[in-house]
Amino acid sequence: MKLKSYLMYLLFLLSVSSCKQDTAEPTEDEDVNLGGSTTVNVSFINTFQQPANNLTASEIDLHRDGDKAFGDIFVTAPSVVNSGLGPIFNQNSCENCHVANGKSPFPSSPSELRGLLVRLSLPGKDNNGGPLEVPGFGGQLQTKATYGKQAEASLSWKEIEEIKSYLDGEKYSLRKFEFDIYNSYIPWPSNVLTSARIAPAVIGLGLFEAISASDIIGFADPTDLDGDGISGRPNYVWNDQTQQKELGRFGWKAGQPTLLQQTAAAYNNDMGITSPYFPKENFLQQIQYDKLIDDPEIDEATLKAATFYTQSLAVPKRRNAANPDVKKGKALFSKLKCRACHRPNFTTGQHPEFPFLSLQTIYPYTDLLLHDMGDGLADNRPDFEASGNEWRTPPLWGIGLTNIVGGHSNFLHDGRARNLEEAIMWHGGEAEKSKEAFGKLPKSERESLIKFLESL
Amino acid sequence: MKLRILTSIITLIFLISACKKTEIIPGADYQQLLSDLSYNVILETYKDLFDNTQLLLESLESLKSNQNEVNLELARQAWRNARDPWEQSEGFLFGPVDQKGLDPSIDSWPVNQTDLDAVLKSSNTLSRTYIDGLDGTLKGFHTIEYLLFGENGSKKIDAFTPREFEYLTGCSESLHGATEALYFSWKQDKQNFISNVINAGKAGNNIYPSQKSALEELMTGMITITDEVANGKINDPFSQLNINLEESRFSRNSKKDFADNIRSVKNIYNGNYKNLAGKGLTEIIYSKNPNLDSKIRVQIDEAITGIENIQGTFTDAIFNAKQSVIDAQNRVRALQLTLESEALPIISNL
Repeated sequence: MKLKSYLMYLLFLLSVSSCKQDTAEPTEDEDVNLGGSTTVNVSFINTFQQPANNLTASEIDLHRDGDKAFGDIFVTAPSVVNSGLGPIFNQNSCENCHVANGKSPFPSSPSELRGLLVRLSLPGKDNNGGPLEVPGFGGQLQTKATYGKQAEASLSWKEIEEIKSYLDGEKYSLRKFEFDIYNSYIPWPSNVLTSARIAPAVIGLGLFEAISASDIIGFADPTDLDGDGISGRPNYVWNDQTQQKELGRFGWKAGQPTLLQQTAAAYNNDMGITSPYFPKENFLQQIQYDKLIDDPEIDEATLKAATFYTQSLAVPKRRNAANPDVKKGKALFSKLKCRACHRPNFTTGQHPEFPFLSLQTIYPYTDLLLHDMGDGLADNRPDFEASGNEWRTPPLWGIGLTNIVGGHSNFLHDGRARNLEEAIMWHGGEAEKSKEAFGKLPKSERESLIKFLESL
Repeated sequence: MKLRILTSIITLIFLISACKKTEIIPGADYQQLLSDLSYNVILETYKDLFDNTQLLLESLESLKSNQNEVNLELARQAWRNARDPWEQSEGFLFGPVDQKGLDPSIDSWPVNQTDLDAVLKSSNTLSRTYIDGLDGTLKGFHTIEYLLFGENGSKKIDAFTPREFEYLTGCSESLHGATEALYFSWKQDKQNFISNVINAGKAGNNIYPSQKSALEELMTGMITITDEVANGKINDPFSQLNINLEESRFSRNSKKDFADNIRSVKNIYNGNYKNLAGKGLTEIIYSKNPNLDSKIRVQIDEAITGIENIQGTFTDAIFNAKQSVIDAQNRVRALQLTLESEALPIISNL
């Protein structure tokens, strides 16, 4: 008995110590599970199509309904199924812009406008403090129309390149677009403000909804009291349901307060689909109005299912977090003060409807606040409190999977950057110093910082 | 002394067995498997899609030249033949098919009948170029299906208008173009997307950091299509008793669509496609759990026969042979559950 015990003990000790090198996980940073318990540990093309890892069976069912709604393709009324497209629209289904739920690439040509749209307004504000709609065109340019109707206008562009150099002499090029709106169905007003936008990735959005407003606002420094050159301002935007102004969280300028409203607005503006929340057609004010009595074209259950889909998509786990270069890049990310806007972490509060989103420690790398990003990136089109120079810090989680999921590496609000280096070098305004510091780094350190971003 | 020797021997044996799992699995090389699946199954399926849409185009041109019931039936059969490889590709719906926006041009559903009627009434030239520029709901498989088979699947040759023949050839030319783009995007001597899968885990592979990630993609694709067949394609029309939600209703091809979707799963799992045989995911599952491998093989075949055993047309069965629909649905769900809860974890733990 004694011998047996001794042997067992010895074997145990030896086996533990000799296998340790093979079996031990590499030491990882604390922030590998970017989306808390929603995180999935996969890395392939359909990564962004995975449901959150912590859904209940009934939530999985609702997610599936939402997946279907997100993929539903609409057609011209009257139709016995999916009726009501347009008559003016940008795309005929959610997933035809949010391909594989990832960020859309900049279109290859004006005849393929998938994933790109242009917001419109006139100088001034509407009664709710939002962008002033353009008579006859509304707040968004619909570049497609059902047969026999006329699209609001056509869109084309030319690319302008500017060659620049890092401090070490290596050259890089920044591309920007000069858009041309032509062939409009009625004369184009001369004073229209425009803002081109690319469809963003739709992962992890429910978690943003679960962050308490005070946590976001508490991080703001609108008058730069700490003197670090970085302010950070909340946007306050109109909530159609509550009929009051609330913290904006979604969209390139944080122009939407909730995912329900974001989704309903996208159905309405992007596809011309009316819902109980936006029961009026997006071309109501046009001479082309169809006067059909078929609204709302989707019911509340469909709208809520599609919304839930965006609330319940998983965030992927970080990759290569223990890689020395990645760690070096992460340290540089802090040193260069990138994290002053790309705030690494939040702990979500209680989500009013879905507990799986509540009390999650997440690492989205955004503060969800508005920042002046300089004249180079400015669209010069205010959106509620956001000025023409301000943009909401976009989240960085999943950014390293952009190419895998979407087969491209276009970044920023209009997709002008062709890789992460260009995206960084487009930063200005409050991020000017960080950008300049990046430009002064030796090549190896620039690459480390990029490797860190690619690990997200 | 004896004790020490004994201890050392036992220790050695124990260590070898204890460490076996961690030493062998990371070293396992699945390149041959990934290569076989990519070349024999994925690429060949896309090649058939490309070839068969060409045959569809030719049959529609014959029909336009000689408008008779025989040519009509030949064209309908050509549509079914082109449809087969498409449905058999839906188990691996990832990569260029989405990223290049090809899926909407090939398989948009429903058909935009209102606009299609208006286009047919117009005087526009119904060329491939014109149809290429239209939305997906005015082209692809289902638009051709609608025109070729008619609303009730029984359209007679004298019900066709000259403009419809024009549209059918332009539309199938456009479809063939989209399938060419899809096939060429994978083909090794064209855009060579196939190399990403074959060379998963190799330095410089920007898509798959490991072979495991490529294998997970394949397994997840299988799960996604079983889910869609059971809980979407079958369930939507069946649970709502709404024939308008049935995808290939005009051609009465729905059962074949569903079965071919599961054949897509079978092809990836077994590594076989038509007369081509190679390694498939079965090899991994069998090496870890032979019983599970048998179970999956049986469940795949049961799902296919379950679908084929749905009585009459699917349209009819959702009203008049409900039990046969439920049986088929349950079999596909059983396969989905096994893949999801038993097979995927094995791949994820490689």
